[in-house]
Amino acid sequence: MNVFHYPELDETLYRQALECGLTVCVAPRKGFTRKLCYLVTDYGSVHDRFTLEGQVCSIPAGSAHYLEHKLFDMPGGRDISAEFAGLGAMVNAFTSYDMTAYYFTCTEHFEDCLRLLLDFVYTPYFTEESVQKERGIIDQEIGMNLDSPDTVVFEELTRCLYRTHPIREPILGTRESIRQITPDTLYRIHRAFYTPGNMMLCVLGDVEPETVAELARQRLGTEYRPGAQKLGPVEADLTVPRQRVRGKIEVAMPTFCMAFKGSPFGRGEQAIRRELAAELAAEALFGESSELYLRLYDAGLIDSSFGGGFETLDGCAMLLCSGDSRDPEAVARAVLEQAGKLLEQGICQEDFLRLKRGSLGRRIRGLDSFDSTCFRLCAYHFSDFDYFRFPEVFREITPEETLALLRETCTEENWAISILEPIHQEEQP
Amino acid sequence: MIETIMLSPGVTLRCCRDSRFKQGSFSVQLVAPMAEATAAMNALLPAVLLRGTARCPDLRAVTRALDDLYGATLSPLVRRVGDYQTTGLYCGFMDDRFALPGDQVFRRVTDFTREVLLSSPLLDGGFLPEYVEGEKVNLISTIESERNDKRAYAMSRLLETMCRGDSFGIPRLGKREQVEAITARGLRAHYETILRESPLELFYVGSAPAEEAAEHFQRMLAGISGERRPLPPQTGLTPGEGGDTVETMDVAQGNLCMGFTTPITNRDPQFPAMQLLNTLYGGGMTSKLFQNVREKQSLCYSVSSGYYAAKGVMTVYAGIDPDTERAAREEILGQLEACRAGDITPEELTAAREALASSLRAVHDSPGAIESYYATGALSGPGLTPEAYLDKLNRVTLSDVTAAANTLKLHTTFFLRGECQ
Repeated sequence: MNVFHYPELDETLYRQALECGLTVCVAPRKGFTRKLCYLVTDYGSVHDRFTLEGQVCSIPAGSAHYLEHKLFDMPGGRDISAEFAGLGAMVNAFTSYDMTAYYFTCTEHFEDCLRLLLDFVYTPYFTEESVQKERGIIDQEIGMNLDSPDTVVFEELTRCLYRTHPIREPILGTRESIRQITPDTLYRIHRAFYTPGNMMLCVLGDVEPETVAELARQRLGTEYRPGAQKLGPVEADLTVPRQRVRGKIEVAMPTFCMAFKGSPFGRGEQAIRRELAAELAAEALFGESSELYLRLYDAGLIDSSFGGGFETLDGCAMLLCSGDSRDPEAVARAVLEQAGKLLEQGICQEDFLRLKRGSLGRRIRGLDSFDSTCFRLCAYHFSDFDYFRFPEVFREITPEETLALLRETCTEENWAISILEPIHQEEQP
Repeated sequence: MIETIMLSPGVTLRCCRDSRFKQGSFSVQLVAPMAEATAAMNALLPAVLLRGTARCPDLRAVTRALDDLYGATLSPLVRRVGDYQTTGLYCGFMDDRFALPGDQVFRRVTDFTREVLLSSPLLDGGFLPEYVEGEKVNLISTIESERNDKRAYAMSRLLETMCRGDSFGIPRLGKREQVEAITARGLRAHYETILRESPLELFYVGSAPAEEAAEHFQRMLAGISGERRPLPPQTGLTPGEGGDTVETMDVAQGNLCMGFTTPITNRDPQFPAMQLLNTLYGGGMTSKLFQNVREKQSLCYSVSSGYYAAKGVMTVYAGIDPDTERAAREEILGQLEACRAGDITPEELTAAREALASSLRAVHDSPGAIESYYATGALSGPGLTPEAYLDKLNRVTLSDVTAAANTLKLHTTFFLRGECQ
């Protein structure tokens, strides 16, 4: 395997693309007992149109997540969770807008666990009966999300920001859309995106990197299998179809999510540099050390639930903030005003260096977390960037490019806000 | 592995020297019995301290100081540990080896923490009223936004009903009325009292040797002295009246919570058996609840049990379609009956034991897990190293687990459901 050293981070990475197309990546953690292993496909809920075997496929909302649930089923009634549990390991999975990950964590029997992971992820087995049976479970998961203000407020916002982009649909789909999912839907997705060329295997722990690659090779063979062609998702229009949406839900105080819609960054180092610069821009605009944060906090318009950042995924980019507030509209006005002021005044070198230093330090500390590091290695890999190179990219970012990003993103035409108010208002002062 | 140093009577420092991490971290906690009269003040205190110091008089200045310290974080830490409530701060900071040459991050964060703890700007012998009033509003909104998370809300209503009269029935952050009654001077007086009289627990994980850590913390706390009162011993639950409650809200999903009592706490020899039972019954994807209520009957997405070992309380949660409440209840209780009757396969027992063993073996792999394992273990039990505890766990037999299951009594249920369902 190829070895990369990152002395600044005290990290080493073993990485190789196998003949079959799978990228294998190991970040050794000498002296640690825990091992974490992700097998991830560069495919999530927004990839609802693609070409497979010469045919255009459109799949129902929620299919990626439904597949994630059903992939645990094996022929002959094998119980994958129980097999992992027998090895003292825990297996789980998640689906996001643009990734689906299957992972296990263990302290012993790593090789057996890895074999098992490769085995079940590459063994699609779906029947009418089992697909039908899962509906009750996913209906309840959907119900749980419908009762979660944070999820609802964001999902409503995406429908303000985008006209056609599939981010408009919940990751879980809806009770109606999931009823259109059949075993055939799931088999097609598996053939399209669960191909080694579209996936990554990433391990953190005290393991032998060559063994990881070898076990993957044994299971997947040498035939190169790329992923299918995704169609979109793109939305060229940067204006928003709707500026505000209001709803009611069981909350104690109004909760909101506000975003500026930006132009998507694409992939590669330049894209990541822009993304990191955009995160600094968010920090400068409404981070805890910003003038705006202090003013709103002192005025009692925001509390510690307030936060923001920059989010990107296939065909989407947004600078967003969210939190609870007795007056979300006043917060939105203040954000707009402050963006104007910041662009006019600029960011002084000293403040900018401090922001960078804080942000860099937090990222370095974040490397102690197995989960977040594994997740980031995978997510950045799918954006064609080696995550451990963040310090050098960070160093080069200038206040000017940060401001340029802010100027490009924060305009009067491309922002929207989603607000959820309490159903029962009587307790409000 | 853990070195314990008494810095002064009632001030205990526990150090876990570990240079594998890229960060250092520490907690500083004042420990007091959980009480109606002080719960809200203890919850409010760290937020007020973090609002500003004489040198950094507002949040922005505080955050800038932390950014200068390579993005260190200093956050409120308010815990319930059995009958005790702790109030204090948790600090995470980048290890010195990543800093600019010669820069000593550990030293500087302890200096800054001293500033936060001891240099609050004061007015008329109290904290600044604007800090206190602002944080009161925030704390009230935190308390009230518990209802945003339906599961957490239902669970806390269950515990409130089940444990009325016991310290465990007091909400961790206090009640709205108690927060409203706090004054800037009253809070300051309370702080001065607990700073002198409550046991103070420090826990450090990082690359520095214990002697160096002790030196930093001595400096951090220099000048604070007093007669620290020992804490009363932890007690088992004195259950309230209990009963079945149904509450309606505009929700899509039903949230069913069931509370069981057991005399077994983490200070008892049967604790490992009880913990094993809880894991086997509702602890993960291979548990009886997950396998039966979810996988076999498709009644829910989330179902699990939890064991509050310091008090001897076990709870079950299921997020269900309200129309299937009866079926879900029956299945949940049916699975407990199975445990009582010893209807447990060797695979189930092994899976549960292995799951606990894995998490115990991994305690030393994360600074947060180390802190929370040892710092709470020291206050409520069992006070064993993960290795020693694992050894006990390995000796638990099937009949021990069954015996533990037979001590459980259903005491209270709480069901949160939609209004027009």
